[in-house]
Amino acid sequence: MFLAIKEIKHDKLRYGLIISLIFFVSYLVFVLTGLASGLSNLNKSALEPWHAERIILNKDAQGRLAQSFLPLRDLGKIGNRGAQIAQYSTIVKGKSGQKEENTQLLAVNKDEFIYKRLPLIAGDKFTAEKEALASAKFKTDGYKVGDYFTTANSKEQIKIVGFTKEASLNAAPVVYISFETLGKIDKDVTNGVVLNKKLDKNIKLSDSESYTLTQFINKLPGYSAQQLTFNFMIGFLFIIILIIISIFLYILTIQKLPNFGVMKAQGIPTRYLVLNTLTQTLIISVAGVGVAIVLSILTAVVLPTQVPISISLSSVCVAGTGIILMSLLGSLIPIQQIIRVDPVKMIGG
Amino acid sequence: MTGLKLIDVSKVYGTGSSRFVALSQVNFEVEESQLVLVVGPSGSGKTTFLTIAGGLQTPSSGDVLINGQDITLLSQKEQTKMRLTTVGFVLQAYNLVPYLTVKEQFDLLEKVKTNNLSEKQFNSVLNILGIKELLFKYPDELSGGQKQRVAIARALFADPEYILADEPTASLDTGRTMQVMNLLKRLAHENQKTIIVVTHDLRLEKMADKVYQITDGKMKKV
Ligand SMILES: Nc1ncnc2c1ncn2[C@@H]1O[C@H](COP(=O)(O)OP(=O)(O)OP(=O)(O)O)[C@@H](O)[C@H]1O
Ligand SMILES: [Mg+2]
Repeated sequence: MFLAIKEIKHDKLRYGLIISLIFFVSYLVFVLTGLASGLSNLNKSALEPWHAERIILNKDAQGRLAQSFLPLRDLGKIGNRGAQIAQYSTIVKGKSGQKEENTQLLAVNKDEFIYKRLPLIAGDKFTAEKEALASAKFKTDGYKVGDYFTTANSKEQIKIVGFTKEASLNAAPVVYISFETLGKIDKDVTNGVVLNKKLDKNIKLSDSESYTLTQFINKLPGYSAQQLTFNFMIGFLFIIILIIISIFLYILTIQKLPNFGVMKAQGIPTRYLVLNTLTQTLIISVAGVGVAIVLSILTAVVLPTQVPISISLSSVCVAGTGIILMSLLGSLIPIQQIIRVDPVKMIGG
Repeated sequence: MTGLKLIDVSKVYGTGSSRFVALSQVNFEVEESQLVLVVGPSGSGKTTFLTIAGGLQTPSSGDVLINGQDITLLSQKEQTKMRLTTVGFVLQAYNLVPYLTVKEQFDLLEKVKTNNLSEKQFNSVLNILGIKELLFKYPDELSGGQKQRVAIARALFADPEYILADEPTASLDTGRTMQVMNLLKRLAHENQKTIIVVTHDLRLEKMADKVYQITDGKMKKV
């Protein structure tokens, strides 16, 4: 600790450079993780409060809710074991001049579990026809409880009676309505049935297939490709951090080998020198990651809400810990140099 | 059993055409409370001798006994420990840690070793060496002679039984040289230290209890 701190103080520029390097890469990692989870939320945040297990869709729909029609035969077999759902993509136009929203209308039944689990943040859940419970996104965009909207291809005026926690599906905010309301706008069909427990084994469905919610999410259009891209980039950055830190520490250590040799000649134990290098790596990586954490959280606050970025302290801390571990791993080669250095070669004379 | 003894020590550097015999069949002995001088011209093997005597490198053949213990048989770790507690080196190239102030050079030793000089003893060493005013300077702010004196103080600070000094007066003027030699002599005679000083400066011979001459790796008592 003693040597580590003295050295950083003495060589501010050099250590400042390494710290800023770690900072930049960590910041990049945090922003990318934030974007990955932001975009992922945009695709599926509506599903979270349901706490569902499985979803049953038409087996020809390739796991896509909007493309699925559940045949009456199967609906009858499932009975009231799940929550029926319909997805209808449309444009919502506010009657008081609010901006038009690309929207996913989701029809659910009042007496089934999805409806019961929807978290309210203002107003009430819908109870009658032509009433709607909208995602918080609409509230941020200027809609209020009691406002009316119409949808593309329909003249029906629908009243917002409440707002639910930010909910979005297929990159569009969600508005919950009843099947009757959906029938007024378009056709009243059932696209799927969501289950909060496994279906009995002896129920044999003829034209439908049951997916776990994870399977369903992975089949959301573009979702897997997008997340894979982000994970790849983040994984790559971790490797880059490992390489940069290794190289930097290696060069630094090579330059300092004479000093290490001298200290060994004086009888300073190698263990002390190694611990010292580890402490130093820990100090610089914690400093770099720390600044990056603060700045990425500020970034999330400052960025306009249109940018789908979701940086949470917990995810940033997990990624940050990963980066710090990578740094410590990167100091292994330099530490080997320190263990190997022969004091006689370094003392001269 | 105290004292430092080299028995038939040889050191060969390199192999084949680059083979070089730096020490050949060296026999050497120094007892407690003695100041021994080893004089020889440049390249004669003085540093090689000193680093082998202090366990900083191992001889190609022969034995090195410190307090009766053959140090060539010690592990790396035990040798490092011995350098910390028993043997203090003053190296030819001064070798101060560049990012520590003079005071911190001593603080570092304090971190890894107990039983260093008392504050009072240390202060008097600083006074004799004339480096008290330099405590808060970095090595690159010191002159060659100042660095040399700090290096001497650093070796003394750990209060070792043996002090092995490689050209400790090379950068000092005559006055300082005599002060340093008198200090070493007093440490030997009054504090029972065993001191080996390696030098090419023949003027120092009169300060020593015993003088060895080294030429082309061969050592003989004068
Ligand atoms: N690592 C080494 N490899 C090969 N030869 C070496 C090595 N170290 C020293 N030598 C050779 O051994 C001889 C003795 O070297 P040493 O450093 O002991 O001399 P010295 O008496 O200390 O000289 P000086 O007074 O110039 O410091 C020299 O000829 C030197 O070239
Ligand atoms: Mg020499």
